[in-house]
Amino acid sequence: MIQRSDIQPAVHAAIPIMLGYVAIGIPCGILEDSIGMNALQVFFLSCMFYSGAGQFMIPNMWLAGSPLASIIASVSLVNTRQMLYSASFAPMCANERKRLSFLFSATVTDESFGVNMANFATGTWNVPRATIVNICSCTSWTLSNVAGVLIGGALGIPLAIASFAMTSIFICLLVTQKITFENVIAAVVAIVGVFTCKAVGLAGPAILVGAILGVVAAMLVSQVRRQRRAEDAALEERVAKAAGKEDDAR
Amino acid sequence: MSMHDFFIVFATCLVTMLLCRCLPLFVLKGRQLPEGLARALGFIPPAAFAALVANDLLSPGMFDAGVWPAAMPLVAAAVVVVVARKTKSLLWCALAGCASYALLAFCFAPGVA
Repeated sequence: MIQRSDIQPAVHAAIPIMLGYVAIGIPCGILEDSIGMNALQVFFLSCMFYSGAGQFMIPNMWLAGSPLASIIASVSLVNTRQMLYSASFAPMCANERKRLSFLFSATVTDESFGVNMANFATGTWNVPRATIVNICSCTSWTLSNVAGVLIGGALGIPLAIASFAMTSIFICLLVTQKITFENVIAAVVAIVGVFTCKAVGLAGPAILVGAILGVVAAMLVSQVRRQRRAEDAALEERVAKAAGKEDDAR
Repeated sequence: MSMHDFFIVFATCLVTMLLCRCLPLFVLKGRQLPEGLARALGFIPPAAFAALVANDLLSPGMFDAGVWPAAMPLVAAAVVVVVARKTKSLLWCALAGCASYALLAFCFAPGVA
């Protein structure tokens, strides 16, 4: 369970995330307000669904006239990356209680994943501390979103500029990915896919289709490369064996 | 967005989100992912983020209204790429992106902002 000694280091680790969420949460609240969500709706959306990317996408796609099914599919697809985070935290939660494991895993985000993973790597971290990081971050996100709804109109920030905060965050998350051949293929094919979808009038599912095409292309390329590597290895082995036989013959 | 539509989007997205966030952890507690699935999951972040960025920045006919309105977010995006490579910080990227976009809009296309 959570101990008093866990609170101070966890809150300290959460502060950069909390500040970041104020910067993104307020524009997000403004955007949500612009499609007619009220403070209570935004409160529940922020603390339960709790997804920066998702909460920017819903109003953006709604404003672009996307059908509900396509909004849900795109948002859900974008959030499938959470499976990877969840899978990578499984070893840490092996001996943890179910309730704490659930609370922890239900509140993982891109940013808190990064911070907690880095802290787990130092050996000073545990699931209670990681959970506190998540809850602090979620609180900051929720309050900032509600603040955006309540004071958004008064601030008068133009939406085009506010929503560029999220575009910037996506760019950051994209650029800080590991640069491997397969990852570049995934990204390039996804970009081409999105553009092509829009060009043929499928703007609604463009993100979904583009991302799936990217993953499929990267899988194909990695399959081919692995096969080639296996063949090369087999060839080398045969050459080595043949050389060995020649030596024996001498 | 009506209350009815909001509730549908909220409920479905919440369910898929909780499944993605919690299921793998509980299923995998002390087990190994199948190799192919692990690899495919690893390609989701670059593909998904690239698709999101492309969706925000690119569209056919984006230069119809002249070069500048469409080039402005691209220039701001380039600034963010530099900041991202230097700082790896989401906060700095968000601030740099909004600031450069606002500055460009203020200087060159007052109509946009």
